[in-house]
Amino acid sequence: MSLLSVRDLHVHFVKRDLKNQVRTAKALNGVTFELDQGQTLGMVGETGAGKSLTASSIMGGLAGSAKVVQGSIQFEGKELVGLDVETLNTIRGTGITIIVQSPLTSLDPLARIGEQLIRVQQEHAPISREDARNKALDMLRAVQIPEPERRMEAWPHEMSGGMAQRILIAMALVNGPRLLIADEPTTGLDVTVQAQVLDLLAGLVHSRNMATIIITHDLGVVSHYCTRIAVMFAGTIVETGAVDEVLNNPRHPYTRELIDSVPERIIDRGYRKVGRAPDLYHLPSGCLFRYRCPMAAEICHSVPPAKVVGPGHAARCHFAEQVNEAMPQAAMSQTAAS
Amino acid sequence: MIIVQYLARRLAFVIPLVLGIVFITFMLVRIGGQDAVGMLAGPMAGKAEVEMIRRNLGLDKPLWEQFFIYAQSVLQGDMGKSWQSGRPVLDEILTRISASLELLLISIALGTLVGVPVGLRAAMKPNKAFDQISRIASLISFSVPTYWMALMALFVFFLGLGWAPPPMGRLDLAVFPPATVTGSYFIDSLLAGDMQAAGSAAGHLVLPVLVFSLIIAAPTIKQTRAIALEVLGSDYIRLARLYGYGKGTIRRIALRNSFVPIITYIGAELATLLAAVALVELVFSWGGLGQWGLNAILFGDFAAVQGYVLVLALFASSVYLIVDLIVLIAEPRMRR
Repeated sequence: MSLLSVRDLHVHFVKRDLKNQVRTAKALNGVTFELDQGQTLGMVGETGAGKSLTASSIMGGLAGSAKVVQGSIQFEGKELVGLDVETLNTIRGTGITIIVQSPLTSLDPLARIGEQLIRVQQEHAPISREDARNKALDMLRAVQIPEPERRMEAWPHEMSGGMAQRILIAMALVNGPRLLIADEPTTGLDVTVQAQVLDLLAGLVHSRNMATIIITHDLGVVSHYCTRIAVMFAGTIVETGAVDEVLNNPRHPYTRELIDSVPERIIDRGYRKVGRAPDLYHLPSGCLFRYRCPMAAEICHSVPPAKVVGPGHAARCHFAEQVNEAMPQAAMSQTAAS
Repeated sequence: MIIVQYLARRLAFVIPLVLGIVFITFMLVRIGGQDAVGMLAGPMAGKAEVEMIRRNLGLDKPLWEQFFIYAQSVLQGDMGKSWQSGRPVLDEILTRISASLELLLISIALGTLVGVPVGLRAAMKPNKAFDQISRIASLISFSVPTYWMALMALFVFFLGLGWAPPPMGRLDLAVFPPATVTGSYFIDSLLAGDMQAAGSAAGHLVLPVLVFSLIIAAPTIKQTRAIALEVLGSDYIRLARLYGYGKGTIRRIALRNSFVPIITYIGAELATLLAAVALVELVFSWGGLGQWGLNAILFGDFAAVQGYVLVLALFASSVYLIVDLIVLIAEPRMRR
């Protein structure tokens, strides 16, 4: 049994427009993946592909008009979809936890750091203030906060971005979770701080043998910190596998496109013009990528199956076997970026 | 420590503030175009008489000299005399201000006690029935003019149903006012053990307080709702939910974070209400500061208008000072 198992997850945003017509945005369209202890999964894809939405679904934090309409999310064998808030609250914050991309605004501005670290423990277990305080101090040391005793008394507005992200990591890990979701954990941070925070996070996760999902736009982060990768497009995972395997031998045209968009690649091979994501309110039938796919053919009007192209490596493309060989190289479509 | 420093800085700022207010009220009244001398002398007065009055009042002197004289006496507590009553303006203000404060403070307490919980409740479940009803109710009482609401209340509860006493002051004619302690007839009669006077005072308070607290509650609901909605949509509340915090804890965090903006709003509102109460006072012949001030404006009673505006401004700045102190205590981000 996997630690986390997401099966055929569909999430729709349902709203009524001014004419009271129901409008449905199909944001997740059959997301399926599994994650085991000790694994680190990198989720990549463009904005709107459904990375953060997948995370929100797992955390039970979908915004008002978003609903899970189909599929299942199992954590340690327990179904999370349809769970009431009280039961869910016994899992999130303890079993599953998350760190977000805006650490500074995610801390309660009117509570001292120590107070927030104690609060997150006392919300989940009958622990004395004294014990919670000691655990909080240990945690602050673990995230390498200097002078933890003094930091406990500090206010959030006195933190830098990197410091606040460490506090958030401490809050996320203090209850001993088995699964950590890091939703663009370093987007708001200085480049120099990004690596520090990620190294720290990787070390903590490794020593605790936790499973991690890192949501990012940065393929460099994925190749450096993740064991597996899931490439998302228009609410589906179009390719998944071991990081090295997928990045060196992509089997979906979209993965190929993503790799070619990495700045070093652009300098080497030239910039490829990419198209827009499909309108989630009017999803086309068949392969969702075919409108901007250089390999699109008649067969792409039917939904592509997830083809297994290697051990643990699968891609949703009719031409999965040919992609890396047959796809036109970026350099052919346009000259090098100037 | 920081609070003492802050207080010192704020109080030091009060001096130029008061001077500025004195200057502006003086100038506003002078350039207002009303001729006090003409009103005082009456239509039958001759040229020589008018000149004499003008000289007696010192109005023949240059404007800067008039201002200097005025500012000097105001700082000594002498606001001049009302030409209508012949009494010192300061006395007139002191005898009337407690009537206005009684009406104002009870109404703001009631308006806040209704407005804040209603706004919070509406924000908890936005766009549900409770929110919609409270929104419409606050929109109506916000849109209706003060005096009209007061007149309608009188029409229904005094003329129609006969529940309310006539709108003629703060006590029945046959009742003697109690000895002054707080200035509130109701509280003072209770203190004096005069139940008849207390009942009469309470009866006279009901309608004006009802009208005025409705007027205060309406924008309070809207503001509280907006503030609470913003807090509930914040990143830290979202994260608290994702970390599985209980409902009570989340509510507590949200309330704590809504407190400062709500207090700030109520303070800003309160600062303007001493002026706004004038219309309610007028309709109910309350005999308070506002009614007196309106009257002074209508009759070009220079000294009285200046005194009235000065009191309004001083009231507003002391309310702001108190609110700032509360915010300073409640908000760590201010204490840097």
